[in-house]
Amino acid sequence: MQLTINEKKLLLNMTGTGEKSPEYFADILQKPSESVIQYANLLSQKGLAEVRRELSTLLVITDEGELSLREGLPERQLFNSFDVSIPVSELNKHQHARIGIGWMKRLGWVSINEGIIKKTGNAPESPIEKGLKSPESASSDVQKELIRRGLVSAREEVTLTIAITAAGSKLVASGIDLRDETGTLTSDQISSGTWKDLALRRYDISKRPRPVWPGKIHPYQRMIDEMRRILLDMGFTELYGDIIQGAFWNFDALFQPQDHPAREMQDTFHLAGKKELPKGWERIRDMHEKGGDIGSTGWGGKWDPEKARATVLRTHTTSLSIQHLAEHKNPPVKAFCVGRVYRRESIDPTHLPEFEQLEGIVMDNDVSFKNLLGFLKEFYVRMGFSSVRFRPGYFPYTEPSVEPEVFIEELGWVELGGAGIFREEVTAPWGINCPVLAWGLGVSRVAMLRMGLSDLRELYQSDIDWMRKVPVMQRGKA
Amino acid sequence: MPVVSLPYKYLERLSGVDRKIIIENLPMLGSDIERILDEQVDVEFFPSRADLYSTEGVARAIRGYLGIETGEENYQVGISDISFSVDSNLKNIRPFIASAVIRDITLDNEAILSLMGLQEALHWVVGRGRAKVAIGVHNLDVVKPPFRYFGAPLSRKFVPLDFQKELSLEEILKEHPKGRDYAHIVIDKPLMPLIEDTEGNVLSFPPIINGELTRVSESSKNLLLDVTGTDQRAVQIAMKILCTALITAGGRCESVNVNGITMPDLAPAKREIDVPSCNRLLGTAYSADEIASLLQKMRYGAQPDGKDKVNLRIPCYRADIMHEWDVYEDVAIGAGYTSLEASLPATFSNGCEHPIMARASAIREICSGLGYLEVMPFTLSSESVMYTKMKREENPGVLRVLHPISEEQTIVRTDLLPLLLDLLRMNKRRELPQRIFHTGDIVLDLKTSRKVALVSTHPGADFSEAYATADALLRELGLEYLPYDSNDPAFIPGRVVDIVVDGKKTGVFGEIHPEVLNRFDIDQPVAAIELDLRVIEA
Repeated sequence: MQLTINEKKLLLNMTGTGEKSPEYFADILQKPSESVIQYANLLSQKGLAEVRRELSTLLVITDEGELSLREGLPERQLFNSFDVSIPVSELNKHQHARIGIGWMKRLGWVSINEGIIKKTGNAPESPIEKGLKSPESASSDVQKELIRRGLVSAREEVTLTIAITAAGSKLVASGIDLRDETGTLTSDQISSGTWKDLALRRYDISKRPRPVWPGKIHPYQRMIDEMRRILLDMGFTELYGDIIQGAFWNFDALFQPQDHPAREMQDTFHLAGKKELPKGWERIRDMHEKGGDIGSTGWGGKWDPEKARATVLRTHTTSLSIQHLAEHKNPPVKAFCVGRVYRRESIDPTHLPEFEQLEGIVMDNDVSFKNLLGFLKEFYVRMGFSSVRFRPGYFPYTEPSVEPEVFIEELGWVELGGAGIFREEVTAPWGINCPVLAWGLGVSRVAMLRMGLSDLRELYQSDIDWMRKVPVMQRGKA
Repeated sequence: MPVVSLPYKYLERLSGVDRKIIIENLPMLGSDIERILDEQVDVEFFPSRADLYSTEGVARAIRGYLGIETGEENYQVGISDISFSVDSNLKNIRPFIASAVIRDITLDNEAILSLMGLQEALHWVVGRGRAKVAIGVHNLDVVKPPFRYFGAPLSRKFVPLDFQKELSLEEILKEHPKGRDYAHIVIDKPLMPLIEDTEGNVLSFPPIINGELTRVSESSKNLLLDVTGTDQRAVQIAMKILCTALITAGGRCESVNVNGITMPDLAPAKREIDVPSCNRLLGTAYSADEIASLLQKMRYGAQPDGKDKVNLRIPCYRADIMHEWDVYEDVAIGAGYTSLEASLPATFSNGCEHPIMARASAIREICSGLGYLEVMPFTLSSESVMYTKMKREENPGVLRVLHPISEEQTIVRTDLLPLLLDLLRMNKRRELPQRIFHTGDIVLDLKTSRKVALVSTHPGADFSEAYATADALLRELGLEYLPYDSNDPAFIPGRVVDIVVDGKKTGVFGEIHPEVLNRFDIDQPVAAIELDLRVIEA
């Protein structure tokens, strides 16, 4: 059994003393009695000592009681204030008359006849006077009277007594090591070897430590990095680019018609300033107006280069994908990007004007729609969504288009992102001759699902407490 | 995307299919089911498929998809002697109009609701909120052809829909609910588009409101349709979608002569598709016969022509078929996406992390190693947080959002430090010490670059802590720096350092000025560091 040095000392001193107060041992051990009570309690948890609590009433003389002890009780003072006899009317002037006259009479010190108070000649010490001198030894009736008269007050008090148990005595008989215990080892103790002679203190393992909060990567960033890792593992090249984009790359190059509502101020953040059009912009104009030379009808109408020069906060990372393709026309291209995108939406728990989007593209000879489904499935399965299915979808710059859905236990089938093959109207102007598979995914939506958040703002205006408490790894989760 | 309400009874009557089977199959046809109600199902269709914005259009598609009735519908257009003249004074206002007549139709309440729903969806998606296209449907029997489409002065009067008395066009724009909603489309024009009959009765004030006179009710038998707009193609397609839906509803279509041109033209467009390229794109191995029959399910007229070609007649309402690949998608939808097996191509490729992302990861490692917790604040901010509260001058390179949503998102951030201080404010009641960092994009002069910032707050946070931390950060980044006296007003004078690398100021650290702390409502000292990362990217 492990005992601290203080527990041991107390135990030794308890042997043969019988039941004693903590103060008794405090004297011997030269420790405050509160500490002795603590040691005794620890010993009692181990069955080596017994700590008995007794509730008793302690009588304490009040300030008024002290005054009466010095100057006499009111009735005694009144009694001493006259000689043999005095008219009641005269004695009534005395400050203690109201209490004192009744008491003097009750105690038989005086008689009252026709308005004259007369001493009987016999005024011994009353039980109250006697009781006030030592309230503890007074009869309970007297004690009650003392309390009633406010001369003494009663206080509940717990008294503790400590005694050794049979098991404690047995342990003492078997011998106790009284060497001082060592807490923190010093460098000297370690290198000199004196540690060998030390009794190393055992710590109380049931007491949990105060939490320490390490520096960490944000849980959302960790999830983003996990997605990035999956795509890197799948052989994709990472893209990165400006958050400010020309409308040309954000919309026109993606065959978004110029009168499309998503381009307008209500849906897209426009910025002051213009961006010059890249070389070859005329091919985009021709594609919009007449469908170029790929058998498309185009959108018809007039395409306005001014509208394409507007600058916007990118509404999707597809603006980076198409620029990457325009610069890398030869297959194969496998690229991805996770980046912040902007939509002019009012803030509510599930909509924010800025959020992360993931996007992947694959350009190669003879990649097909089935391959797109293959990439989607592979990605989602690696993300931990094992059931994936596909529904028709619509996106202005892909054809065919598909909406992948994943199965989530509590929610059923949840739409997670969109995908398709870039329209030829998008790729042909840059001389790209093979299909480009593309898919995008709202990363913050996955974060909400995975972290069980009810409000997207928690990702961006994070509660430090929440971040501290989200573990880096979760058991049972990859 | 528009949500179309499909009443079960009408839909079942038109399609001959049980509601349960319809609801099951709708998503695979290309839609999102919004909600399933007792009497109807509300479905969101894609903006490309305006032909599905009516119960009639959905019934047509579902009959094909389930194989009940495949191939193209044959839409007949009879000849009427009704004509329209278009005045040239609308040339720069709203020049295009299409018209058609529907005869012998029986409109019950559900058919009228479907028609109104279709009109609304077309207004929104094809019509861009009526600016590009607006539709009018009239009771033909109360007016007398020929009709006239012309520009009228604002003083012209008629009784608009839902009103009992005559209003001038000007009054309609101000007082009629639809007038107020759509006045912005015409308000700056010199003349207002108007349609009247030969006796001067007003049918419509497009794109605002029809006349009360021609209101359509369940007793209307013969209808006059008008579609006006600014884009000829969009005007025609809206008319075709409208006519084909009303033919499905039981009407008979007759033509109208508009300035010498007979319309509507409901004939299919012809196209030939290439079987091998369709299979190549989808990754399938369908024969020309199989492709033809899949496309017939999708309501195309389709005949194989040898083993490599399929001749198509594309229904006139399919405005979305711009290119051959649009047809390939319908082949895949007809086959069912679930029947397509997902497979990965064999192409070899190496993964390659972007160097900027790799550096960001390294910075995260350094900062978390220093005991800092990462945060990810917004990139949109306000002048108040970015400059006023920091006691700093506005950065001349700051980029303003032209139409912000709120006062909190008026600019793109140029610094990270203010956002960290704002986060400390939000976390004021959380246990101290708090040490947080962020690395991410900022924008200056339309250019995106990157910074890193760290803050530490607790009763002992001071200049020395900032110095020691900045020193460690710069050392780990492999940067030699010189400390220079700084006069950054966000910090306490004498407790702030400009970090100079290669003779250039690249950052600042020190103890935040108590005035700044007051403005951010922070009550503990803050040691702070901010570094421009262009220095490590050069």
